[in-house]
Amino acid sequence: MSLWDLREKAAICGVGHSPYGRRLNRSAIDLAGEAIRQAAADAGLRRDDLDGLIVSFGTPIGADADTLAYVLGLKLRCYLQTWAHGRFTASCIQWAAMAVNAGLARYVACMAAVSFSGLRKPMMGGAGDTEGAREGGGGHGEDPVFGMTSPGAGAALVARKYFARYGATSRQLAAVAVAFRKHAALNPAAIMREPISVEDHQNSRFVCEPLHLLDYCLINDGAACVIVTTAERARDLRKPPVYISGMQGLPAGREEFIWTYPGFGISQQAEYDYEPGLQPVYQMAGVTPAEIDALFTYDAFSILVWTALERFGFCRPGEAAAFTQEGRIELGGALPMNTNGGLLSEAHIMGWNHQVEIVRQLRGECGARQIANAQIIQWANAYGDSLIYRRG
Amino acid sequence: MTTYTKPLPAISSLNRPYWEALKRHELKLQRCTECGKVWYPPAPFCPACWSDAVTWQRLSGRGRVNSWVVFHQAYFPSFQDDLPYNVAEVELEEGPRLLTNLVGVDLAEIRIGMPVEVVFEDVTPEITLAKFRPVEQHSR
Ligand SMILES: [Zn+2]
Repeated sequence: MSLWDLREKAAICGVGHSPYGRRLNRSAIDLAGEAIRQAAADAGLRRDDLDGLIVSFGTPIGADADTLAYVLGLKLRCYLQTWAHGRFTASCIQWAAMAVNAGLARYVACMAAVSFSGLRKPMMGGAGDTEGAREGGGGHGEDPVFGMTSPGAGAALVARKYFARYGATSRQLAAVAVAFRKHAALNPAAIMREPISVEDHQNSRFVCEPLHLLDYCLINDGAACVIVTTAERARDLRKPPVYISGMQGLPAGREEFIWTYPGFGISQQAEYDYEPGLQPVYQMAGVTPAEIDALFTYDAFSILVWTALERFGFCRPGEAAAFTQEGRIELGGALPMNTNGGLLSEAHIMGWNHQVEIVRQLRGECGARQIANAQIIQWANAYGDSLIYRRG
Repeated sequence: MTTYTKPLPAISSLNRPYWEALKRHELKLQRCTECGKVWYPPAPFCPACWSDAVTWQRLSGRGRVNSWVVFHQAYFPSFQDDLPYNVAEVELEEGPRLLTNLVGVDLAEIRIGMPVEVVFEDVTPEITLAKFRPVEQHSR
């Protein structure tokens, strides 16, 4: 037990998002403004209630926290911003949960806005990706000297090794893309709603082999926002609270590679048989993986669904390939995942769109794609961070 | 001589000995004389035990393919003519893994675990890259 037990001491009290689209022709600030105002309205809060802001994705793709405060007329007591990666979604919410309980702020808007179509120079790989060329290697194993560029290439390295180590196939990976597209078909906000088949996946072109185009997430425009406050305040607001029951931070080091778990043997990781044990997020929340009603994960590439399932102990290493077949991760299956359609088919809002969906599922607001009687939903990622949410 | 247009490494105070060794057609990495660890990328002290007892050691140049990918999309225009091209992660005999391109091998022949050895490619008067090619006989 930690000295400061935050189990169910913070909650999400409001969610909002802009439209999602391939080319919206709207600035990131414009999109952010719509998401944050919707989230405030959802919670029944006024502008001046919002005194904290945490942004996970700033310029040049998104909008920076200080600019948002200035342009949108927010009066902030504290703000914070991570650099431009999707991996920081849980971290932002964790810091917000701490901030409201420490009294640094009362209501913290946590969000990302992205306008990929507004970029003059693509940043996801190639010459525009300055981070990929940084000293010590890029954030997803990039090394432009050898043409190793883009986040998906690191995921392709993981996929190749996974296929070889566990005897899995690209055809099995197709089940992930097919499942999330089915979910997107039930979601009016999703960008990609046309059904796809395993054959469509197999016939889609290779981007970085062994990954096909349909293993890749969307690149799009949009914004999504959640508002974090104390559990106590959340109980007095317009919508039922969604409690943050468990939190697990984002690990880093030589035994970590962004798209898989320790022991996998990519980059400088040692190779051994990974044993997840009961991860800290479950210990904090006081639940086990068996009690999770739905799992959401950062599905920038389909292979990340497998490594996330194995990292958190839903499957043994190598078993996610079989686990994700036969509708098991679809609505109505044993463990529905990414019921919004995910980054693969709803939109790539860095996982903020997933947080919005989790909250709506726990409030019972999801209509045709509602998980019956959802009580506990987890956000858990290949890179090791997590949140467990409980219906209030 | 045609101009080399692909991205070049950024030389820093930490990695300069690595690139200077490659220029002499030697593959060298840092080794800790206290704990024996050899590592990549270059670091200011041993990342395993934080000792300052660091030397640059010449390596065997042999290793195995740990994983590899094939690019079908030209993110850099300078790689357009190479499509589809491979990028491999090679695990050196001494332990660290390096990203590289495999040369002298058809894409269809690449396998995880395939033994490879370093070849030195002088791409500019200043920069030499460590690439790898398959070897028939491999003692490990
Ligand atoms: Zn040492």
